[in-house]
Amino acid sequence: MKKISITGLGIVSPSGIDKRKFWANIKAGRSAVKKIERFDASKYQSRIAGQVHELDAYSNVSSRLLKKIDLFSHMALVASEISIKDAGIDMAKENLKRAGIFAGNAIGGWLYAETELRDMYLEGREGVSPFMASAWFPAAPQGQISIHYQIKGYSKTIVSDRASSLMAIAYGAKNLNDGKNDFILAGGMEAPVSPYGLLCCNTSGVLTLRNDEPETAYRPFDKTRDGMAVAEGAGILILETEERAKKRGAKIYANIIGYGTTTDGVDRIEPAADGIELGRAIQMALKDAQLEPSQIDYVCADGAGTQIGDLSETRGIKLGLGGHAKKIPVSAPKSIFGNMLGASGVLDVATTILAMEHNLVPPTINLNNPDLECDLDYCASGVQEKEIKRALVINRGRGGINCALIIEKS
Amino acid sequence: MSLEEKVKAVFKDVLEIGAEEIKPDEKMDICLGLDSTEMVEITVGLKKAFNLDILNNEFKKTLTFNELIEKIKSRGAVE
Repeated sequence: MKKISITGLGIVSPSGIDKRKFWANIKAGRSAVKKIERFDASKYQSRIAGQVHELDAYSNVSSRLLKKIDLFSHMALVASEISIKDAGIDMAKENLKRAGIFAGNAIGGWLYAETELRDMYLEGREGVSPFMASAWFPAAPQGQISIHYQIKGYSKTIVSDRASSLMAIAYGAKNLNDGKNDFILAGGMEAPVSPYGLLCCNTSGVLTLRNDEPETAYRPFDKTRDGMAVAEGAGILILETEERAKKRGAKIYANIIGYGTTTDGVDRIEPAADGIELGRAIQMALKDAQLEPSQIDYVCADGAGTQIGDLSETRGIKLGLGGHAKKIPVSAPKSIFGNMLGASGVLDVATTILAMEHNLVPPTINLNNPDLECDLDYCASGVQEKEIKRALVINRGRGGINCALIIEKS
Repeated sequence: MSLEEKVKAVFKDVLEIGAEEIKPDEKMDICLGLDSTEMVEITVGLKKAFNLDILNNEFKKTLTFNELIEKIKSRGAVE
């Protein structure tokens, strides 16, 4: 595929909304996972999460619009505004029929939905806001971004569980490669820290139960891992062809040069233990990028933090990269701010871009007890100095949805 | 409170706008940026305020405020 440039970065995360603050927290390995305080979560098995603070300080969304949208759309609008500004794009001068939105999330806007459902049972159908119908569904953020900026080009919302936003970025890049858009806002958003959203995450059985030690609970690849800490947030990238980015003199953070996707097809929740299909997705991405495994400098891993998830991922990386897998750093920086489910991919790409910019490999935190079967270099001792020219980003959804994306430093 | 003032109070509550933003003879979708769902919410508010027996999509956002007042009166609302 042609090189697709990433020229804008908009981050809304528990580790910070501004990219500098975000990177400072990542570099320091400072955990943002805390006890949930938005509602009484004391009866939940897992009651810790990465939660976004200071959103209002960065938001230009009117109170009139806030009544109509869920938190996941609000975070997406803030991330979009930051990203467009970062890319130096003047929307008034763009042909918006050639602009697109590719967004991914896994669960939709439950904070809004469950409040209205409660009102329906308490007050009857007249008690339900008419905005309910357009606030909760997964494509709502895409709709709100398109209305806000009058974007009218080819757009899509991808729902592929925790691989959603990485898939959205990959398909957005493909669309630009096919010439369907001039530029695309690509990324994801997720707001699972609501009573029902958290309940669904709990019943899937993939959350950590270490409630008394939130900051060290999420420990990918550690022998004592017992699941992920969930998180909320959003990320939006500006994607455009390298040709267009150079023509307008934009800063190019990195280029997307290949991707691959596969599915395991073995279980409703767990991935296939053998990692074969993940390995195949990695090889597809390498082929798409016309690279050999030896040309990959860093892997930003999915790092589910479940026993089978991390084992399966390690096996998949080794199958995909062969012997080279043991020669390069593989880390899961999301262990710092929590697993953002459908929005994980865009935050992983953003983290990798910042790692490339600073020549530093971000760490996997809380990995103190090595698992003999998870035998790669997970950067457990902290940030590592290294020039990263090309990186592989992996995201996996429930039931073994695999997505592998390769980005190259500009 | 007059019927008109009661209707304006519903608009103020739903849209969080000042009464002065309502231009009586301009289409509401243009002067207030009203969208179709906001019109439904206003209609629900009017039903409660005047005890009207109407459908939630009875009133259109393309009406002017004065036309809306006439329609509310024609449905039996009184001052």
